[in-house]
Amino acid sequence: MNTFMAMPLKRNQTPFWIGAVVLVLAVPGLLGGSDYLIQIATMMALYVVLASSLNLIIGFTGMYSLGHGAFYGIGAYTSAILAINLDWTFWVTMPIAGILTALVGAFLGLATLRLRQTFLVFGTLAFGEIVRILIMNWPSLTRGPMGIPGIPPPSILGFELVSSTQYYYLILVFAILMVFLIFRLYHSRVGRAWVAIREDEIAASSMGISVFGYKVLAFTIACLIAGLAGAFYAHFITFISADQFGMNESFLILTMVALGGTGSIIGPIIGALILIIIPEAFRFLAEYRMVLYGALLILVIVVKPEGLAGVKGLFAPASGARRFSFLRSGFSAECEKVEGAK
Amino acid sequence: MKKKLISLISTVLLVSSGFAAWAAGTPNSSIIHIALTAPITGDYAEYGNNFKHSVEMAIDEINANGGVLNKKFELSVGDSKGDPKESAMLAQKWTSDSTIVAQIGDFTSTCCMAAQPIYNRAGMIQLSPTASHTKFASGSKWSFSVYGSQYWEQPVMAALAVDKLKFKNMALLYINNDWGVDTQKSFKENFEKRGGKIVATESYFQGETDFNAVLTKLKEFKPDALFLATMYNDGALISKQREKMSWNLPVIGASALYSPQLIQLGGTAVNGIYSNVSFFAKDPDPRIQAYVSTFEKKFGNTPNFAAALAYDCVYILADAIKRAGSVDRNAVRDALASSKDFKGLAGSITFTAERNAIKTYKPVQVINGEFQLVE
Repeated sequence: MNTFMAMPLKRNQTPFWIGAVVLVLAVPGLLGGSDYLIQIATMMALYVVLASSLNLIIGFTGMYSLGHGAFYGIGAYTSAILAINLDWTFWVTMPIAGILTALVGAFLGLATLRLRQTFLVFGTLAFGEIVRILIMNWPSLTRGPMGIPGIPPPSILGFELVSSTQYYYLILVFAILMVFLIFRLYHSRVGRAWVAIREDEIAASSMGISVFGYKVLAFTIACLIAGLAGAFYAHFITFISADQFGMNESFLILTMVALGGTGSIIGPIIGALILIIIPEAFRFLAEYRMVLYGALLILVIVVKPEGLAGVKGLFAPASGARRFSFLRSGFSAECEKVEGAK
Repeated sequence: MKKKLISLISTVLLVSSGFAAWAAGTPNSSIIHIALTAPITGDYAEYGNNFKHSVEMAIDEINANGGVLNKKFELSVGDSKGDPKESAMLAQKWTSDSTIVAQIGDFTSTCCMAAQPIYNRAGMIQLSPTASHTKFASGSKWSFSVYGSQYWEQPVMAALAVDKLKFKNMALLYINNDWGVDTQKSFKENFEKRGGKIVATESYFQGETDFNAVLTKLKEFKPDALFLATMYNDGALISKQREKMSWNLPVIGASALYSPQLIQLGGTAVNGIYSNVSFFAKDPDPRIQAYVSTFEKKFGNTPNFAAALAYDCVYILADAIKRAGSVDRNAVRDALASSKDFKGLAGSITFTAERNAIKTYKPVQVINGEFQLVE
C-alpha cells in the first residue's frame, strides 16, 4: 500500500482528463436545462460508479459477483433509515452507509471468496436474494414491502439540493472522485497485485502476493463504493423499495461491465453510458426497444467478446482460441448432423 | 489512452447534442397534451396495454365529439416496464415538457411513489388509475388515485363472508408487497369487526410458483373459507394447486382476481371463487355495454378493471378541464380535487381531502367459467 498514490500522472494525459471533466461539467448547459435529460445524465453518472466498482471485482481481480445490486441496496437502505429515524444529515449517513456495506462485503468475501468461478457466482447470487428477502421481511426496520418514502434530499450549509442540476453536479463530483480513486488503485501496487491474480493465481501467490487477502480487499472496496452509490441514489430518488435492488439490478450492472469491457477504466464507463441511454433513446420503438437492447448485447458478445473497450473479456474464448471459432464449430457440427441425417 | 479519451469526449458530445435537439416541444393552443405512463412491457404488460387501449379510446371519443374547450386531446405514451427507476425517468420527461397538462399513470404503487416527488416539484397532476398504497395520494397535493382504497373494498367482502356466506373461521393468503399487505390487513379488520375469526395467515413473494407448502400449512387449521389477496395469475395457480390437493373450500378474494385471465388460466379450479368489482363488464348499464363492445371490437379482448379505471381517468380529467375553463395546471388540479359524484364506468368518484377516490363495489362469483354478479 505504500506506493498507493505515489505514481505520478503521466504529463501528457493531464489535459485530456481536465478536458473530460470540463465537458461533463458543461452537460446541463449542453442539454438546455431539460430536467429529463439531466435526470438521464445523473443516472449515467451513478451507474458509471456502480459499473466501475463492480469492475474492481470482475475486471481487475478476475472474480465474479452477481450480488452487486444487493450491496447497492444495503447502502441505500442504511442511509435512508438513519436519515429518517435518527434525522441525521446525508453527510453523516452516506459514509456510514459506505462503511457498513464494506463490512458486509468483507464478511461475505471472507466466507465466499475461496470459491471459484461458477460457485462464487452462485454464492453472490444467493446473497443478493437473501438481502432482498431480508428487506421484505423486516418491516420494523425496513418497512418491508411498503418501501421508504420521503427520504430527505442532501443539503449543503442549510441549502437543500432539490433541483436536478444541483443533484447532477453532486453525483458527478462523487463519480469523478470514485473513478479517480479506482484509477489510482489500478495503477498502484495493489492494482498490480489484482491483475497478477486475475492472470494467474498460482504464479501470483508464488511471487508472494496474498491471493485471498487481495481478493477480499478488492471485494470490500467495491462494496464500499457500491454502498456510497446506494446512499446517493436513495437521497436522489427519495423513495426506495426492495424491488429496486433485486437481481435485475445486479444483472444490469454486470451487463454494463461486460458490454463496456472488463479490466479497463474506460470500459465500465462506456457500458454504463450506453445501457442507460439505449432504453431512453429508443422509446419511440415502444414494445420493441428491449428487443433492440438484447440484440445489441448479443452482437457485442459475438463480435467483441472482451467488451467495447476491455482488456479481459467476461465472454472471451479461452486464450489462443480464434474469435468466432465457437460459432464455426457449432455451425459445422450442425452441418454434420444434417449430412448424417441425409 | 489519448484515443480512448477522445472517443469518450466525442461520445458525450454526440449524446448530449443529440439529446438537446430532441428536448421539449412547442406549445400549441388548439391541443390539450396529456401523458400516459404504463407498463407496456414486462410483468404487468396486460394491465399496461389495457391502460393504453382504454386511454386512446377515450381520447378518440372526446376528440370526435369536438374535444374540450374547443381543444383536441393529444397523448404521449411512455413504457415504464413496471420499474420505479424508469417511472421516475418518465416523470422527468413529462414535467420537462411544458405542453403537457397532466399525467395519467403509473400502474404499480411503487412506480407511482418513485415518480411522485418529481411531479410534486414540477406541479403536474399525477392521476393514477390503480395506485392503492395508502400513503400515495396523501403524499403530494398533485397526486390523485381513482382506484379507491382497500378501506372501501374490504367491508363489502367482509359483509359477504359473514352475513351472506356465514363464514366463521377464515384463512388468509397474500402476496407480500405493499398492496397485498394492505389488502389482507383491511379484510382482517373488517372480518373481525363482524365477529369472524382469522385462524391462519400466510404470505408469498412475487414470482413464486409453488404454493403447495403454504396451502398445506393453511389446510391444517381447517378454515371455513380462504381469502386471497393476490393478482389473478397467482390466484389461478393457487386454485389449481389447491384443487390438486383436493382441498375443497369456498374462496373469496380481492378485486385484483377479477380478470378474464383468471378463468383462462385457472379453468375449473377457479369455479365458485368470489371477488368484487367496481367495474363489471356484463353490467346491463347501457354506457358500460357501449364501452365494452367498442373495446372488444377494437382490441379483441374484454376490458378489465384497470382498463375501465384508466378510461375514467381521461373523462374525469376532461371534466376537470371543462370546469376549470383553462388548461392551467393549477386550475385543473383544483377542479379535479373538487370532483364530486363523477359518474365513471367503474362507479362514481368523489375525492377525499387526501385525493383518494371513494367508490362503490359489487361482489361477483365465477359460475360455470364465467363471472356473474352476486345478488
